[in-house]
Amino acid sequence: MKNGTATDQAATGAIVIAHEVGLHARPSVKLTKLAKTFASKIELGLSDVGPWIDAKSIVKVMAFKAAKGSTLHFRAHGGDATQAVAALVDLVRRDFDESHGGG
Amino acid sequence: MQSVGVVIVSHSPKVAEGAADMVRQMVGEEVPLAWTGGNPSGGLGTDVGQIMAAIDRAWSNAGVVILVDLGGAETNSEMAIEMLPDDRRAKVLICNAPVVEGAVVAATEAAGGSSVDIVQQTAEEYSAR
Amino acid sequence: MDLGADLRAELVRAVATTIERHAEELTTLDQAIGDGDHGLNMKRGFEAVLADVANLSAKPWPDFLKGVGTMLVMKVGGASGPLYGTLFMGLGKDLPAEPTRADLVRAFRGAITAVQARGKSERGQKTMLDVLIPVAEKLEAGVAETGAITLAAHAAADATIPVKAVRGRASFLGDRSIGHMDPGARSSALMIEAVAKVLEKA
Repeated sequence: MKNGTATDQAATGAIVIAHEVGLHARPSVKLTKLAKTFASKIELGLSDVGPWIDAKSIVKVMAFKAAKGSTLHFRAHGGDATQAVAALVDLVRRDFDESHGGG
Repeated sequence: MQSVGVVIVSHSPKVAEGAADMVRQMVGEEVPLAWTGGNPSGGLGTDVGQIMAAIDRAWSNAGVVILVDLGGAETNSEMAIEMLPDDRRAKVLICNAPVVEGAVVAATEAAGGSSVDIVQQTAEEYSAR
Repeated sequence: MDLGADLRAELVRAVATTIERHAEELTTLDQAIGDGDHGLNMKRGFEAVLADVANLSAKPWPDFLKGVGTMLVMKVGGASGPLYGTLFMGLGKDLPAEPTRADLVRAFRGAITAVQARGKSERGQKTMLDVLIPVAEKLEAGVAETGAITLAAHAAADATIPVKAVRGRASFLGDRSIGHMDPGARSSALMIEAVAKVLEKA
């Protein structure tokens, strides 16, 4: 189909935040930056039924306040939805690439 | 295109520099960034010439957003914009947002490749949240 | 010899002199209801203009005025740097190289509008506008006698005394700003008097 809906994907994923301070400012920046590299619409929420916020919005993600131990749910819709969710889940799994303890 | 640049203007050079440090730490090196604070006598205040120089240091053809703290910083930033060359004036926008948080939010948005209008809008969204 | 250049230089000297003479008074006024630096700032700004008088006055009227304005923005600082800078830059903005009286009066009004926008103020808020606007009105009404203009300027500055400030640092004092002349009004009136004296002889 011309507008690409035949190739649009929908994807979801979930990951527990292990990062000490949860989703605070710096992880929020990394999350939104990564989300913006994908064309799909991407949302995140604290349950698989939402409420959902736009994962590309730094203001919304910073305000989101997900603590360590909570489960972050992602849902995406678009041509690269599967890759987007996989990448974001992986970012969380890697503790947002932050080192702990020591400079 | 290079990302939009961010300029931080505070009455205090320490605040301005500190805010810039936070931006660098959280957002990285890819966004053009400059800060200025204090008046030429070394006291608290802002200076039009210094603001113009900061705009130049953070210049990007995509434009520049300016974060300011209290009243005088905004007035002097408006004056600085007015005194820019014709081809730059329209591309510099002042954000109505808190100076530190606004700078971080603006730089994050800029790093994502957004236009100067969207960067300004996003910083101002912070105030409205 | 370009008579215009001589006149421009004389104007600079006259204004710089009056500011220097009244710097302490302006500081005292500003200590009562402001940052306390108006006299110091204005003196520094006009010293810089004076130091560059030969270069500035060699330029035709529009560039001279814009040059003075730019220097004031860069050197005066504080709250009045942008305001006086905008005033002078506005004066020179759309002025023809050989302005008529009508051109100057029109330019003055245009410059005042720019100052209003810069300072986000209007008449009656205890600022330099409270002197500039009444003087503009006199000029627009055709008053040419420099003594009358000077009197109007000083009367307008006096009229700021009982006004409560709603703009600038003074506005934080609320009722305590009543009973004090606005420093910007005073410096405006002094400058108008100095200019008027020079033009009277010209």
